[in-house]
Amino acid sequence: MLKWFEETDRENPDVVYSRIRLVRNWSEYPFSAKLSPEAAGEMVDRLEKGLRDFCLEAAGDYQYIRLDELSDLNRRALKERRLLNTTLTEKKDPVGLILSDDERVSIVLNGDDHIRMQFISQGLHLKELWQQADQADDFIGERFAYAYDDKYGFLTSYPTNTGTGLRASAVVHLPSLSSGKKFSSLLGEMSRFGASIKGLYGEGGDNYGSLYLVSNQKTLGVTEGEIVELVEKVVNQLSSQERQVRDMALSQDRIGQLDEAYKSYGVLKYARRLTWKDAMIFLSRLMTGVADGLLEFDGPCPIYSIMLGIQKANLQKLSKRPLSRTELDVARASYIRAELPELRH
Amino acid sequence: MLCEKCKIREATIQYTEVVNGVKTEHNFCAQCAGEMDLGQDFPLGRLLSGLLGLGENSQKEERYAQVVCPTCKTSYGDFVKDSRFGCPDCYEVFDLLISDKMKQLHGSDSHRGKKARPVKIMARRGNTSGENPVQEEPDNLPVEERIKRLRACQEAAVRREDYEEAARYRDEIKKLKAGSETDA
Repeated sequence: MLKWFEETDRENPDVVYSRIRLVRNWSEYPFSAKLSPEAAGEMVDRLEKGLRDFCLEAAGDYQYIRLDELSDLNRRALKERRLLNTTLTEKKDPVGLILSDDERVSIVLNGDDHIRMQFISQGLHLKELWQQADQADDFIGERFAYAYDDKYGFLTSYPTNTGTGLRASAVVHLPSLSSGKKFSSLLGEMSRFGASIKGLYGEGGDNYGSLYLVSNQKTLGVTEGEIVELVEKVVNQLSSQERQVRDMALSQDRIGQLDEAYKSYGVLKYARRLTWKDAMIFLSRLMTGVADGLLEFDGPCPIYSIMLGIQKANLQKLSKRPLSRTELDVARASYIRAELPELRH
Repeated sequence: MLCEKCKIREATIQYTEVVNGVKTEHNFCAQCAGEMDLGQDFPLGRLLSGLLGLGENSQKEERYAQVVCPTCKTSYGDFVKDSRFGCPDCYEVFDLLISDKMKQLHGSDSHRGKKARPVKIMARRGNTSGENPVQEEPDNLPVEERIKRLRACQEAAVRREDYEEAARYRDEIKKLKAGSETDA
């Protein structure tokens, strides 16, 4: 079965993916940080049993993984695919992960909160994802009494999630906009509306790949519908501004844009050694070229999937042994060569 | 990487200092960074101490820091330090102390979104041996009431054409009925 990131969305090629994350806690137990390993183990087992039916219905084929029984490398690979956060990658206590085979649906049991549901899809589909999450939440809420308060809403271990427990986010590709001088002031402006925008792989000029994560800042005092709408609006705003800059560049210097796209393809397709940084820079340029319709391939070209694949833990997993720095760069180049489809002539 | 200062926790904050053109980099954990006065532009120091307390009214805050949640023993001081609650009851215990901070954080201190739904009776409890099923199945309800609720679930399942589920509800009702007869 294809994972969600292996499919491509032609509708809005500058939006790489959207994600709904909902956290909930079971009122029977204290929050995860205060649970003894024994109590945590018991809770994780009870939750997993109670969620089995839901999983078959909502997640289709899925697997259940106990993170505390998983190797470090496998955990880091899950983190690279953004299924776990940094704290979870290192947590030693019992943690359960329900993961659908296409990786669109995942539920972490006993992470920072008891239940963390994540629904993800390529392109901008926050409304649909919220509907899915809402249904799943109803199902789970009918089986496990949530920690809920009339004033504060859903109670979460961090005050930054209290209320709806909802984080709606989307990743946008902004190669032109982010290289402009006004970009940082634009980001500041967006944050005044309650949206946070961060580089997906780093801050400022270090954000190789030019991918930006947009998400809601507030979770309390706003409805779920408002949150989803806000993030969609900001994403649309950013991607339409990006489009304007790119269209202008295309009309002024089409050959320059074409050259950049083809050169990037050439490097990626033929290089024998690629650092992560270089790979990200060229993949980002290739992504621009594909989105602008400058390059066409024989088959689908899921560039984000390649971006996920070229990270350290995944390459080490594929090669089944620890790799030195140089070996890693070699493995990265050969991974990209294998994954990139041929150009259509 | 471990925090330079406490050497216990993972460093999550990279702090770059430029003094007379000389750049030095430091790695701290959120906790130590919050405790240090790293200048005005330091966002995390501001976030933790500014938003959650330990600010100007530190004397008052110190007294508040002694307030302890009876359920999980988290003190208000712990909460400010880790910016994390210990259990659902903490919200009620610290309510008066956190209300303003919540407003600063979210622009509001009252929930407007989706409400929690009442927990449904679980028809299946065979596989959850040895645990107290209070949450899933309120045993204090009269048997008739429980049967009534299960019937509703069963009908809903039939409407969904989920006959397997419906059959499980049916069995559960049967079991309850048998039980109430032997009791009587």
